[in-house]
Amino acid sequence: MRTDFEKVVVIGYGKATGEILKYTDVRRTDYGYDLEFIEHEPHALSVTRQICEERGIPFASMPDRRELGGYLARMEEKTLIVSASNNFLFPAALVEREQVTIINFHNALLPDYPGRNAPSWVIYQGGERTGITWHYVTAGVDEGNIIVQKSCEIGPDTKAYELTQRLMDLACEGFRECFDSVLQETAEAKPQRFSPDRKLYRSTEIPGGGFLHLEEEPEKLYRLLRSVDYGKSGIFPPLQTEVEGARAEILRYRKIALEKRGEEADTLYLPLADGNLLKIKYRVL
Amino acid sequence: MEEKVLEILEEYCEEAISYTGDNMMEEGVIDSFTVINVVSELEDVFDIEIDAKYVVAENFRNKEAIIELVRQLTEE
Repeated sequence: MRTDFEKVVVIGYGKATGEILKYTDVRRTDYGYDLEFIEHEPHALSVTRQICEERGIPFASMPDRRELGGYLARMEEKTLIVSASNNFLFPAALVEREQVTIINFHNALLPDYPGRNAPSWVIYQGGERTGITWHYVTAGVDEGNIIVQKSCEIGPDTKAYELTQRLMDLACEGFRECFDSVLQETAEAKPQRFSPDRKLYRSTEIPGGGFLHLEEEPEKLYRLLRSVDYGKSGIFPPLQTEVEGARAEILRYRKIALEKRGEEADTLYLPLADGNLLKIKYRVL
Repeated sequence: MEEKVLEILEEYCEEAISYTGDNMMEEGVIDSFTVINVVSELEDVFDIEIDAKYVVAENFRNKEAIIELVRQLTEE
Protein backbone atom coordinates (compact mmCIF):
# COMPACT_ATOMS: atom_id res chain seq x y z
CA MET A 1 0.00 0.00 0.00
CA ARG A 2 1.27 3.41 -0.90
CA THR A 3 1.05 6.86 0.58
CA ASP A 4 2.97 10.06 0.04
CA PHE A 5 2.67 10.89 3.74
CA GLU A 6 6.01 10.41 5.42
CA LYS A 7 4.75 11.03 8.91
CA VAL A 8 1.57 10.58 10.95
CA VAL A 9 1.18 12.60 14.15
CA VAL A 10 -1.60 11.68 16.58
CA ILE A 11 -2.71 14.38 19.03
CA GLY A 12 -5.26 13.93 21.80
CA TYR A 13 -6.06 12.16 25.03
CA GLY A 14 -8.34 9.43 26.26
CA LYS A 15 -9.60 6.08 25.17
CA ALA A 16 -10.29 6.78 21.49
CA THR A 17 -6.90 8.40 21.07
CA GLY A 18 -5.24 5.32 22.55
CA GLU A 19 -7.09 3.03 20.15
CA ILE A 20 -6.32 5.25 17.17
CA LEU A 21 -2.69 5.36 18.18
CA LYS A 22 -2.55 1.57 18.31
CA TYR A 23 -4.25 1.30 14.92
CA THR A 24 -1.92 3.79 13.23
CA ASP A 25 1.00 1.90 14.74
CA VAL A 26 -0.21 -1.40 13.30
CA ARG A 27 -0.75 0.19 9.88
CA ARG A 28 2.84 1.50 9.83
CA THR A 29 3.87 -1.86 8.46
CA ASP A 30 1.58 -1.35 5.43
CA TYR A 31 2.65 2.18 4.61
CA GLY A 32 6.03 2.78 6.22
CA TYR A 33 5.29 6.25 7.64
CA ASP A 34 6.91 7.54 10.82
CA LEU A 35 4.52 7.83 13.74
CA GLU A 36 4.59 10.08 16.77
CA PHE A 37 2.20 11.04 19.53
CA ILE A 38 1.70 14.42 21.14
CA GLU A 39 -0.15 14.86 24.40
CA HIS A 40 -1.49 18.40 24.61
CA GLU A 41 -3.82 17.97 27.59
CA PRO A 42 -2.62 15.55 30.27
CA HIS A 43 -5.35 13.35 31.74
CA ALA A 44 -5.17 11.55 35.10
CA LEU A 45 -6.34 8.23 33.68
CA SER A 46 -4.73 8.43 30.26
CA VAL A 47 -2.77 5.42 29.07
CA THR A 48 -1.33 6.89 25.86
CA ARG A 49 2.13 7.29 27.39
CA GLN A 50 2.17 3.58 28.26
CA ILE A 51 1.04 2.65 24.76
CA CYS A 52 3.89 4.72 23.31
CA GLU A 53 6.44 3.18 25.65
CA GLU A 54 5.30 -0.36 24.90
CA ARG A 55 5.33 0.17 21.15
CA GLY A 56 8.33 2.44 20.80
CA ILE A 57 6.29 5.38 19.51
CA PRO A 58 7.93 8.78 20.15
CA PHE A 59 5.91 10.58 22.85
CA ALA A 60 5.95 14.30 23.54
CA SER A 61 3.98 16.26 26.10
CA MET A 62 3.28 19.81 24.90
CA PRO A 63 0.71 21.51 27.12
CA ASP A 64 1.77 24.92 25.86
CA ARG A 65 -0.22 25.99 22.79
CA ARG A 66 2.55 28.12 21.33
CA GLU A 67 5.11 25.37 21.74
CA LEU A 68 2.80 22.87 20.05
CA GLY A 69 1.90 25.26 17.24
CA GLY A 70 5.56 26.06 16.66
CA TYR A 71 6.55 22.40 16.68
CA LEU A 72 3.92 21.47 14.10
CA ALA A 73 4.75 24.50 11.94
CA ARG A 74 8.37 23.38 11.68
CA MET A 75 7.54 19.97 10.21
CA GLU A 76 9.21 19.55 6.86
CA GLU A 77 7.92 16.14 5.81
CA LYS A 78 4.52 15.54 4.23
CA THR A 79 2.53 14.96 7.40
CA LEU A 80 -0.91 13.73 8.35
CA ILE A 81 -2.04 15.06 11.72
CA VAL A 82 -4.77 13.02 13.37
CA SER A 83 -6.58 15.08 15.96
CA ALA A 84 -8.60 12.79 18.21
CA SER A 85 -10.28 14.15 21.35
CA ASN A 86 -8.10 17.19 21.06
CA ASN A 87 -9.05 20.73 21.99
CA PHE A 88 -6.06 22.48 20.43
CA LEU A 89 -7.17 24.83 17.67
CA PHE A 90 -4.76 24.55 14.78
CA PRO A 91 -3.48 27.95 13.64
CA ALA A 92 -4.56 29.00 10.14
CA ALA A 93 -0.93 29.19 9.02
CA LEU A 94 -0.47 25.51 9.84
CA VAL A 95 -3.77 24.41 8.31
CA GLU A 96 -2.88 26.13 5.07
CA ARG A 97 0.55 24.50 4.70
CA GLU A 98 0.61 22.31 1.64
CA GLN A 99 2.59 19.46 3.16
CA VAL A 100 0.28 19.21 6.19
CA THR A 101 -3.14 17.55 6.20
CA ILE A 102 -5.15 17.53 9.41
CA ILE A 103 -8.16 15.39 10.17
CA ASN A 104 -10.24 15.80 13.31
CA PHE A 105 -12.82 13.72 15.11
CA HIS A 106 -15.79 15.77 16.28
CA ASN A 107 -18.23 14.20 18.73
CA ALA A 108 -21.45 15.19 16.94
CA LEU A 109 -22.98 14.92 13.50
CA LEU A 110 -21.64 18.08 11.90
CA PRO A 111 -22.83 20.60 10.94
CA ASP A 112 -24.89 20.14 14.14
CA TYR A 113 -23.31 20.98 17.49
CA PRO A 114 -19.96 22.41 16.42
CA GLY A 115 -17.55 23.50 19.14
CA ARG A 116 -17.05 22.13 22.62
CA ASN A 117 -18.89 19.57 24.73
CA ALA A 118 -21.29 18.51 21.99
CA PRO A 119 -22.56 15.38 23.85
CA SER A 120 -23.69 17.64 26.70
CA TRP A 121 -25.64 19.97 24.45
CA VAL A 122 -27.38 17.22 22.54
CA ILE A 123 -28.50 15.52 25.79
CA TYR A 124 -29.57 18.83 27.34
CA GLN A 125 -31.63 19.70 24.29
CA GLY A 126 -33.33 16.31 24.34
CA GLY A 127 -31.78 14.92 21.16
CA GLU A 128 -32.55 11.30 20.42
CA ARG A 129 -29.70 10.70 17.96
CA THR A 130 -26.19 11.93 17.59
CA GLY A 131 -22.90 10.63 16.31
CA ILE A 132 -19.39 11.44 15.24
CA THR A 133 -17.77 13.15 12.30
CA TRP A 134 -14.26 12.79 10.92
CA HIS A 135 -13.52 15.89 8.88
CA TYR A 136 -10.65 17.75 7.35
CA VAL A 137 -9.49 20.67 9.43
CA THR A 138 -9.75 24.16 8.01
CA ALA A 139 -9.17 27.54 9.63
CA GLY A 140 -12.80 27.65 10.83
CA VAL A 141 -13.80 25.56 13.85
CA ASP A 142 -15.43 22.26 12.83
CA GLU A 143 -16.13 23.63 9.35
CA GLY A 144 -14.06 21.31 7.18
CA ASN A 145 -15.30 18.80 4.67
CA ILE A 146 -16.80 15.62 6.09
CA ILE A 147 -14.92 12.37 5.50
CA VAL A 148 -17.12 9.95 7.43
CA GLN A 149 -19.97 10.03 9.95
CA LYS A 150 -21.40 7.41 12.30
CA SER A 151 -24.56 7.77 14.33
CA CYS A 152 -26.11 6.30 17.46
CA GLU A 153 -29.22 6.67 19.60
CA ILE A 154 -29.37 8.54 22.87
CA GLY A 155 -31.31 6.65 25.53
CA PRO A 156 -33.66 8.34 28.00
CA ASP A 157 -31.16 7.81 30.83
CA THR A 158 -27.92 8.33 28.90
CA LYS A 159 -25.34 10.39 30.76
CA ALA A 160 -22.72 12.55 29.09
CA TYR A 161 -19.86 10.20 29.92
CA GLU A 162 -21.79 7.19 28.63
CA LEU A 163 -22.56 8.95 25.39
CA THR A 164 -18.94 10.05 25.13
CA GLN A 165 -17.83 6.44 25.51
CA ARG A 166 -20.18 5.33 22.73
CA LEU A 167 -19.00 8.18 20.51
CA MET A 168 -15.38 7.25 21.08
CA ASP A 169 -16.11 3.70 19.96
CA LEU A 170 -17.78 5.12 16.85
CA ALA A 171 -14.81 7.41 16.29
CA CYS A 172 -12.48 4.41 16.25
CA GLU A 173 -14.81 2.58 13.87
CA GLY A 174 -15.00 5.59 11.56
CA PHE A 175 -11.26 6.09 11.66
CA ARG A 176 -10.55 2.51 10.64
CA GLU A 177 -12.98 2.96 7.75
CA CYS A 178 -11.48 6.13 6.36
CA PHE A 179 -7.78 5.89 7.23
CA ASP A 180 -6.67 4.23 3.98
CA SER A 181 -8.52 6.69 1.77
CA VAL A 182 -7.13 9.63 3.75
CA LEU A 183 -3.60 8.28 3.50
CA GLN A 184 -4.02 7.57 -0.19
CA GLU A 185 -5.68 10.97 -0.66
CA THR A 186 -8.72 9.43 -2.29
CA ALA A 187 -11.29 10.21 0.42
CA GLU A 188 -14.49 11.71 -0.95
CA ALA A 189 -15.09 14.49 1.52
CA LYS A 190 -18.39 16.34 1.47
CA PRO A 191 -18.72 20.04 2.22
CA GLN A 192 -20.90 21.01 5.15
CA ARG A 193 -24.08 23.01 4.65
CA PHE A 194 -24.36 25.60 7.37
CA SER A 195 -27.64 27.04 8.54
CA PRO A 196 -27.73 30.82 9.04
CA ASP A 197 -28.28 30.33 12.78
CA ARG A 198 -25.30 27.97 13.22
CA LYS A 199 -24.17 28.18 16.82
CA LEU A 200 -20.62 27.40 17.88
CA TYR A 201 -20.60 26.08 21.45
CA ARG A 202 -17.79 27.47 23.57
CA SER A 203 -15.94 25.88 26.47
CA THR A 204 -17.20 28.54 28.84
CA GLU A 205 -20.87 27.71 28.16
CA ILE A 206 -22.64 25.36 30.55
CA PRO A 207 -26.02 23.75 29.84
CA GLY A 208 -28.75 25.49 31.79
CA GLY A 209 -26.24 28.09 32.85
CA GLY A 210 -25.07 25.54 35.42
CA PHE A 211 -28.16 26.16 37.56
CA LEU A 212 -30.95 23.74 38.39
CA HIS A 213 -34.25 25.62 38.60
CA LEU A 214 -36.25 23.25 40.78
CA GLU A 215 -39.57 24.65 39.62
CA GLU A 216 -38.91 23.23 36.14
CA GLU A 217 -40.13 19.84 34.97
CA PRO A 218 -38.17 16.98 36.59
CA GLU A 219 -37.51 15.56 33.10
CA LYS A 220 -35.74 18.76 32.13
CA LEU A 221 -33.76 18.74 35.35
CA TYR A 222 -32.79 15.11 34.72
CA ARG A 223 -31.59 16.04 31.23
CA LEU A 224 -29.52 18.86 32.65
CA LEU A 225 -28.00 16.60 35.31
CA ARG A 226 -27.15 13.93 32.74
CA SER A 227 -25.80 16.46 30.26
CA VAL A 228 -23.03 17.65 32.57
CA ASP A 229 -22.24 14.26 34.08
CA TYR A 230 -18.65 13.39 33.19
CA GLY A 231 -17.89 11.78 36.53
CA LYS A 232 -14.98 13.51 38.24
CA SER A 233 -13.38 14.91 35.13
CA GLY A 234 -14.24 18.49 36.05
CA ILE A 235 -15.35 19.46 32.54
CA PHE A 236 -18.08 21.51 34.16
CA PRO A 237 -18.26 22.91 37.68
CA PRO A 238 -20.86 21.22 39.92
CA LEU A 239 -24.39 22.36 39.19
CA GLN A 240 -25.95 24.67 41.71
CA THR A 241 -29.50 25.18 42.86
CA GLU A 242 -31.48 26.95 45.55
CA VAL A 243 -33.17 24.93 48.28
CA GLU A 244 -35.46 26.76 50.72
CA GLY A 245 -33.70 30.03 50.00
CA ALA A 246 -30.20 28.66 50.43
CA ARG A 247 -27.67 28.22 47.65
CA ALA A 248 -26.67 24.59 47.25
CA GLU A 249 -24.31 22.52 45.15
CA ILE A 250 -25.43 19.27 43.56
CA LEU A 251 -23.35 16.33 44.74
CA ARG A 252 -24.97 13.50 42.83
CA TYR A 253 -28.23 12.28 41.40
CA ARG A 254 -29.89 9.05 40.43
CA LYS A 255 -33.14 7.79 39.00
CA ILE A 256 -34.67 5.41 41.54
CA ALA A 257 -37.83 3.34 41.87
CA LEU A 258 -40.61 4.87 43.95
CA GLU A 259 -40.25 2.30 46.73
CA LYS A 260 -36.54 3.11 47.14
CA ARG A 261 -37.33 6.56 48.47
CA GLY A 262 -35.48 7.14 51.72
CA GLU A 263 -35.36 9.83 54.36
CA GLU A 264 -31.80 11.02 53.79
CA ALA A 265 -30.87 14.57 54.72
CA ASP A 266 -30.06 17.12 52.02
CA THR A 267 -31.80 15.03 49.40
CA LEU A 268 -34.58 15.93 47.00
CA TYR A 269 -36.97 13.42 45.48
CA LEU A 270 -38.76 14.61 42.35
CA PRO A 271 -41.40 12.52 40.57
CA LEU A 272 -40.61 11.61 36.96
CA ALA A 273 -43.26 10.95 34.34
CA ASP A 274 -42.18 7.29 33.99
CA GLY A 275 -43.19 6.60 37.61
CA ASN A 276 -39.67 6.73 39.03
CA LEU A 277 -38.10 9.35 41.25
CA LEU A 278 -35.21 11.65 40.55
CA LYS A 279 -33.06 11.60 43.67
CA ILE A 280 -30.76 14.60 44.03
CA LYS A 281 -28.22 14.85 46.82
CA TYR A 282 -27.01 18.39 47.54
CA ARG A 283 -24.81 20.35 49.92
CA VAL A 284 -25.81 23.79 51.17
CA LEU A 285 -23.05 26.27 50.45
CA MET B 1 -17.67 -2.89 53.43
CA GLU B 2 -15.22 -5.00 51.43
CA GLU B 3 -17.97 -7.27 50.27
CA LYS B 4 -20.04 -4.35 49.00
CA VAL B 5 -17.07 -2.86 47.12
CA LEU B 6 -16.43 -6.20 45.46
CA GLU B 7 -20.11 -6.47 44.51
CA ILE B 8 -19.93 -3.09 42.81
CA LEU B 9 -16.72 -4.01 41.04
CA GLU B 10 -18.20 -7.27 39.89
CA GLU B 11 -21.19 -5.44 38.46
CA TYR B 12 -19.12 -3.02 36.38
CA CYS B 13 -15.86 -4.86 35.81
CA GLU B 14 -15.93 -8.57 36.55
CA GLU B 15 -12.33 -8.97 35.44
CA ALA B 16 -11.18 -6.76 38.30
CA ILE B 17 -12.25 -9.40 40.82
CA SER B 18 -9.85 -12.05 39.54
CA TYR B 19 -7.08 -9.58 38.61
CA THR B 20 -3.97 -10.12 40.75
CA GLY B 21 -1.57 -7.52 39.31
CA ASP B 22 -1.07 -3.92 40.36
CA ASN B 23 -2.01 -1.81 37.37
CA MET B 24 -5.51 -2.51 36.12
CA MET B 25 -5.65 0.64 34.02
CA GLU B 26 -2.42 0.15 32.11
CA GLU B 27 -3.23 -3.49 31.58
CA GLY B 28 -6.63 -2.62 30.14
CA VAL B 29 -8.65 -4.44 32.82
CA ILE B 30 -10.57 -1.27 33.70
CA ASP B 31 -10.95 1.89 31.63
CA SER B 32 -11.68 5.47 32.57
CA PHE B 33 -15.39 5.15 31.79
CA THR B 34 -15.78 2.12 34.05
CA VAL B 35 -13.97 4.05 36.77
CA ILE B 36 -16.65 6.77 36.49
CA ASN B 37 -19.38 4.16 36.99
CA VAL B 38 -17.60 2.54 39.91
CA VAL B 39 -16.95 5.90 41.60
CA SER B 40 -20.56 6.96 41.14
CA GLU B 41 -21.84 3.70 42.64
CA LEU B 42 -19.38 3.80 45.56
CA GLU B 43 -20.45 7.36 46.39
CA ASP B 44 -24.08 6.41 46.37
CA VAL B 45 -23.78 3.18 48.31
CA PHE B 46 -21.40 4.48 50.99
CA ASP B 47 -22.75 8.06 50.96
CA ILE B 48 -19.26 9.46 50.49
CA GLU B 49 -17.70 12.06 48.22
CA ILE B 50 -14.78 10.78 46.18
CA ASP B 51 -12.95 13.93 45.21
CA ALA B 52 -11.33 14.09 41.77
CA LYS B 53 -7.89 14.05 43.39
CA TYR B 54 -8.53 10.42 44.44
CA VAL B 55 -9.65 9.34 40.97
CA VAL B 56 -6.20 8.44 39.70
CA ALA B 57 -4.75 5.20 38.31
CA GLU B 58 -2.90 4.54 41.59
CA ASN B 59 -6.16 4.21 43.54
CA PHE B 60 -7.64 1.92 40.89
CA ARG B 61 -4.59 -0.28 40.38
CA ASN B 62 -6.40 -3.33 41.82
CA LYS B 63 -9.40 -4.23 43.97
CA GLU B 64 -7.38 -3.93 47.20
CA ALA B 65 -6.49 -0.31 46.37
CA ILE B 66 -10.15 0.52 45.76
CA ILE B 67 -11.18 -1.09 49.05
CA GLU B 68 -8.45 0.87 50.83
CA LEU B 69 -9.65 4.12 49.25
CA VAL B 70 -13.22 3.51 50.38
CA ARG B 71 -12.00 2.53 53.85
CA GLN B 72 -10.12 5.83 54.16
CA LEU B 73 -13.03 7.90 52.93
CA THR B 74 -15.63 6.21 55.11
CA GLU B 75 -13.42 6.71 58.17
CA GLU B 76 -12.98 10.45 57.52
